[in-house]
Amino acid sequence: MSSRDLSASPGGAVAPYRSGQPAQLADVLERVLDKGIVIAGDIKIDLLDIELLTIRLRLFVASVDTAKKAGIDWWETDPALSSRAARSALQEENDDLRERLKQLESTADDAAPPALTKERRNV
Amino acid sequence: MTEIGQERPSDDTALYVFAVCTDPEPAGVTGLPGVTDEWPVRTLPLGKLTAIVQSVRAAEFTDEVWQARLSDQSELERYARSHHAVVSAAAAACPTVPLPMATLYLGEERARHALNEEADRFRAALKRIAHHEEWGVKVYTPTGSPAQDTSNPQDRVPAPAGARPAPGEGLAYLRRKRGMQEKRERHLEDGLRVAETVDTELRGLAAAFRRLRPHGARLSVDQGVQVLNATYLVADHRADELESLAQELRVRTGAHIEISGPWVPYSFVGEV
Repeated sequence: MSSRDLSASPGGAVAPYRSGQPAQLADVLERVLDKGIVIAGDIKIDLLDIELLTIRLRLFVASVDTAKKAGIDWWETDPALSSRAARSALQEENDDLRERLKQLESTADDAAPPALTKERRNV
Repeated sequence: MTEIGQERPSDDTALYVFAVCTDPEPAGVTGLPGVTDEWPVRTLPLGKLTAIVQSVRAAEFTDEVWQARLSDQSELERYARSHHAVVSAAAAACPTVPLPMATLYLGEERARHALNEEADRFRAALKRIAHHEEWGVKVYTPTGSPAQDTSNPQDRVPAPAGARPAPGEGLAYLRRKRGMQEKRERHLEDGLRVAETVDTELRGLAAAFRRLRPHGARLSVDQGVQVLNATYLVADHRADELESLAQELRVRTGAHIEISGPWVPYSFVGEV
């Protein structure tokens, strides 16, 4: 596996060929998984991105019995895959909103002016 | 086809396919580990073409197992690099169409049947990429980017605790923030313009090109973000031209330009 990194330092000096240097993982992944896949961070791979990646992965497992050939995009309509992804995103958003609501409610209590509080008690 | 002394794969095996190539016995391929220890990487004849394959335990390559594997970074890396090693070895030996990771069939007959159906696509892909290599190009915004707050330090003396802010300090703060924001936006625009320039010029050398999604990678806190991640299909004999052009662009734009390659043309076989 060859990968030459011909990067140069900003001053313009050309770095020597680093033959034998292993290819960067992000570069390998965006080629062996599929083109146009988002890979976040320096080298770390975000878990959420992996869930997206699995949906786009071209996994052909053809059934011996039916000899049915899987279409390339079958997993996008597979309820098991797409709903799982949808559910986790929704859960995260709910947790986030609950947290923010809690914060806002506690701040509102602290900031309530004395007049308003008195009014409330009289209601 | 089984090797002498090798256990014959049983019915709970599947066939993992790495690539399709033109040489019936490409050198340097069958000795590689591939994606499992249990059976060797081998060839599967497909008429005039040859598939590079490996028997694997079907239970280790189910959808669930595969998803769990992809969520584990070290597993992901292991499989990706193993797959890529086999693909690259085949491509070093003969014209090769790489397949993405995890193309599997439940049995050789299934694989033969399905792959033979794709023979025209493979042939067209081989024709397209013959005598070409793929080169990856990543561009980062030029150095000296004002990513940090470069405002006058005197303006940023923190007030002592409990003190009321002096009149005008709030406004000065807002102005500073807006100034930083505007600098960042201008800098990003400059970066994108550089990206366009680099991409346009490199396309001139390429038979085909493709924009990939930026990695979101940073060289360092001060050096801005990746503004271009692209890949180009370049004729073998023009690799040197690519290198020279990249160097010229570095000098002209001041941008940090990273070239990776040559790659087996993964990115240019898919649309066949």
